[in-house]
Amino acid sequence: MKNTILIVDDMEINRVILAEGFKGGYEILEASNGRQAIEIINSNENIAAVLLDMIMPEMNGMDVLREMNKSGKIFHIPVFIVTASDSEKLLMDAYDLGAVDIVAKPFMMNFLKCRVDNIIELYRHRNDLEDIVNEQVERLNSLNQSMVETLATLIEFRDCESGEHVKRICGLTEILMTAVSDMYSEYHLAKTEIDKIVTSSVLHDVGKISISDGILNKPGKLTREEFEIMKQHTVKGCEILKKIPDIMDKDIYNYSYDICRHHHERWDGRGYPDGLKGDEISIWAQVVSVADVYDALTSQRVYKAAYDHNTAVNMIYNGECGVFNPKVLTAFDKSMDKIKHKNAMLQRLSC
Amino acid sequence: MSLLEELIESGVNVDEALERFMNNAALYERMLGKLVDAVNSTEVMPAFEAQDYETALTNAHTLKGVMGNLSITPLYSAYTDIVRLLREDKPEQARKVLEEVLPVQEKIIACIERYK
Repeated sequence: MKNTILIVDDMEINRVILAEGFKGGYEILEASNGRQAIEIINSNENIAAVLLDMIMPEMNGMDVLREMNKSGKIFHIPVFIVTASDSEKLLMDAYDLGAVDIVAKPFMMNFLKCRVDNIIELYRHRNDLEDIVNEQVERLNSLNQSMVETLATLIEFRDCESGEHVKRICGLTEILMTAVSDMYSEYHLAKTEIDKIVTSSVLHDVGKISISDGILNKPGKLTREEFEIMKQHTVKGCEILKKIPDIMDKDIYNYSYDICRHHHERWDGRGYPDGLKGDEISIWAQVVSVADVYDALTSQRVYKAAYDHNTAVNMIYNGECGVFNPKVLTAFDKSMDKIKHKNAMLQRLSC
Repeated sequence: MSLLEELIESGVNVDEALERFMNNAALYERMLGKLVDAVNSTEVMPAFEAQDYETALTNAHTLKGVMGNLSITPLYSAYTDIVRLLREDKPEQARKVLEEVLPVQEKIIACIERYK
């Protein structure tokens, strides 16, 4: 537990008085100027409160507050200004910089102790609550992840050929989305968003659960009618997601919905279900499309053998699987080694 | 007479100070001993003589805090006035207050030194 009070004052007399007052309940550390104080604050995890003089050589009290704002320490460690100053401006500036309380010298020790004790207790509660909230957020995230994975596993069960397909899609989406984001500023996304997209990509084929076995697992070419039904897995997937929006994070839901609906759209507008064109298709849906096609080509299916990496890549570049965003293809090309490596690893795992 | 008794006669609020020192009289007396050095290292008059009012303000402010914490009330009041007058840009008046209080300060310091 944080149990140290840091006393900062250039006059030893003032430090001794404060140390005497607080020594029973707390560990005491002393600094005779702002610079020493900052060194201690930055290196000691147990500071429960700082009693800070304003006017000091080296760094003064305001400088210490500024430094603590920069490092964010001010949000976790209460700072009491203990000063003989009654300059309203100085004291207001100190409050503005996050000081919790201002104590005038000479102070009444008993009152000062009560004030400091109370605030330390309050900060302890606050810091504990923050820890609890963070822990719960972590648990929620992991629950989220497992919900999404559970759904994906259900699809795998139905679509007995896809096997580890969803896992590979995740890996490919991560590589490709990161490359696109790094290479093109217009498609730049924060790492946290990319992580959400990767999680969401797992659900791209959730609609296949609504397609009958006869079509889903047909060991030959689909008829025109059958293909029309097969195409429905995009919209059906969205219908399923619409019924369970609460089991996942709102962002994950939005990404999943978009990817589910649009991972068969094509850059030239000849995809399905909405015939979106160019950047009408979100970049994450575009990325999952390429990942999905590459994985379908390099995997064995009931209706086809697995193509090797080079053949699959050539087929994608030649437009045999539809037209893709040239920028996504360039990023795909740049990440070829990573993709090849990751895919080989995952294909091995699924054998 | 003891040191504390003599100080009470000079207007020092010893009871208040002892409350601040958690009734540790020995520690209070030790800190009174330190006051001698503190006063020597933060002299205000030389700053006035050099018309360095910024240093005068800093030093008077420091002494105000220390005198207040040791409850040396006559000196605390004087340094409070000096700080205020300097902030109000009235160095002549501030200097006058200092000149008046220096004999009191010397008497109190001499008293403390006698018991060292």
